[in-house]
Amino acid sequence: MALVDDVKTLIEHGLPGATVEVVDEGGGDHLRVQVSASQFEGLSLIEQHRLVKNAVRERSDTGELHSLTIKTSVPK
Amino acid sequence: MADPNLKDKVEELIRDNQVLLFMKGTPESPACGNSMRAVNVLESYGIEYAALDVLPAMQPLREVTGEIADWTTFPQLYVNGQLVGGADIVEELDESGELAEVLGAERAEPAPQSAKQELKADNPQQSPPMQIER
Repeated sequence: MALVDDVKTLIEHGLPGATVEVVDEGGGDHLRVQVSASQFEGLSLIEQHRLVKNAVRERSDTGELHSLTIKTSVPK
Repeated sequence: MADPNLKDKVEELIRDNQVLLFMKGTPESPACGNSMRAVNVLESYGIEYAALDVLPAMQPLREVTGEIADWTTFPQLYVNGQLVGGADIVEELDESGELAEVLGAERAEPAPQSAKQELKADNPQQSPPMQIER
């Protein structure tokens, strides 16, 4: 599975119901992700990013996913 | 589990440096685009900060920061002992003005060159953790 799809699936699993958009910024291992999730409500930015990062940790810790740019939001 | 000696050393660095950036490469020569983004933001405040190159001991440092702050990617910016975030958060807080509050400084462009304060091995107070015998 391409890393883009893999990362999308992992985040959707980690944050059920979230809207996840993943874009390859180059090379297939530098990704940008936009995540809108109700789970972010009331959380600080760092806690929101932690949820996303921890969802894909198995890919980032191995270096497979080299860079993940994250933008989070709470659905209106 | 993270190396306890390295963890102690990292906790000490976080405690002793008001503004501390864990990064890939150095402020003069960042080895990763995200580290460069964090450096660029910090430089625009013209403040003193300590920078630690994680590349020589990336995996052990990942384990340590995972335990300390539940964060395993670099860069990582710590201010007053607290993890502020990685490049995305640093940029977002910069744009919203919150970073100025966190740092207790105003943006001052262009950043003076003297603002950089890199960790040097000959300064025992700030020697990088990977140079500690363990």
